[in-house]
Amino acid sequence: MSAPLYRLRGVEAAYNGAVVLSVPELDVARGGILGLAGHNGSGKSTLLGLLGFLLAPRAGELVFDGQRVDAAALRVGHLLRRRAVLLGQDTCLLKRSVAANVAYGLRLRGQDAPEPLLAQALALVGLDFAAFGQRPWRELSGGEARRVALAARLVLRPEALLLDEPTAGLDRASTAHVKAAALAARRDQGTTLVIASHDVDWLKSCADAVLLLEDGRITGAL
Amino acid sequence: MDYFADGFTRAVALLLALDPETFSAVWTTASVTALALAASLILGLPLGFALGHFRFPGRRGARLFVDWMLSLPTVVIGLIVYALLTARGPLGQWGLLFSVPGMALGLTLLGLPIIIAMTATAVESTDTRLTRAVLSLGADRWQLLAATLLEARFAMALAAATAFGRIVSEVGIAMMVGGNIKWQTRTITTAIALETGKGEFATGIALGIVLMIVALVVNLLVGLLRGRANGSPGVRQGGRSASGAAGRGGRP
Repeated sequence: MSAPLYRLRGVEAAYNGAVVLSVPELDVARGGILGLAGHNGSGKSTLLGLLGFLLAPRAGELVFDGQRVDAAALRVGHLLRRRAVLLGQDTCLLKRSVAANVAYGLRLRGQDAPEPLLAQALALVGLDFAAFGQRPWRELSGGEARRVALAARLVLRPEALLLDEPTAGLDRASTAHVKAAALAARRDQGTTLVIASHDVDWLKSCADAVLLLEDGRITGAL
Repeated sequence: MDYFADGFTRAVALLLALDPETFSAVWTTASVTALALAASLILGLPLGFALGHFRFPGRRGARLFVDWMLSLPTVVIGLIVYALLTARGPLGQWGLLFSVPGMALGLTLLGLPIIIAMTATAVESTDTRLTRAVLSLGADRWQLLAATLLEARFAMALAAATAFGRIVSEVGIAMMVGGNIKWQTRTITTAIALETGKGEFATGIALGIVLMIVALVVNLLVGLLRGRANGSPGVRQGGRSASGAAGRGGRP
């Protein structure tokens, strides 16, 4: 059995001095799917922020792929964030075309963004490059914007893809595309998925494990 | 009413005839506005970015100062600049009083706070919406700065257009620092004030027409830029809608 991609021991996260998340022990298996369920404010997004290296743990040990994530590692946190990519709860696109948005992460890494690669990423979320590639950000619906944001992460082929309420507020068609694309990333690229969602049925159907969070603590599994 | 109509007819004739005195005021206005706007942008954009992006001791005080400068009456700015540039003032040896560069200096003090305040606000709002998303895609610190500037481009252009509109239509500073010298420092606004006082209604109207056309163009530009700058994303706002940079400002 391979070592877990993430290993958390006694990890705490705090805002303004108040501890909002406490994780005594958690391993996230490489190539697996971990579901996070819980009501609003239960700590799901905070946990994803830690796993996405957008937040520094206040205490405890966070290990990613065998590397301890301490203050020194977070000083060059972009190197970690290029391996574990978070899709936040609210859609966030740059004020550019769809193609430029999908290419942005590749450009950050100094990589080429050939059109076929961008088209492939958009196809994963059910968007046609010919129809959407040059469309500006302001001409997208909420569902289309969310799918473009997901494509911008899938094209990076990250080791871990962290999805925070990826289907919240989407219609049935967009929801289906987002779910299928996320699962395809795991199936085709071996991407580790951590998904926070209120859609418990979906989590149960696809995840290897679903953890329930309440008031900043993991209180059980579903 | 005939008086007004006659003035308007003569004004159009002056413009069509490319009346030298009228166009001297237009040229002076264009020169002084270009100088003042360039200086305001060169100084104001980096200062506004720093004020909006960085957290440093005294930031709130600096923001308060800029906001205070926004509300300073133009005659007070004119008075201060006059005092600086007059022969006995600290900058008196430069001979800038009653000159186009001197007027530009005064008008820069008018435009600078606008550029700083609007840029800072644009960067602040862009930061909170954008930072998480750009970082999560793997941006380092410099790439984040570049993305923030690029995303705020419409708002910064809006700041420039707003400052331009304020500078080009200003009269108090131009009158006090420029002295309203014919062929030299007489701008559209100071000429209107003078010609109207002399009863030369037509010249005043002619210059007023030019100023109103400029104002119309600036307002059209501001409207366009405001739409672009406010093209906030994330949340669908009915039908086809804005989907620009958005995200969560607060805790995740």
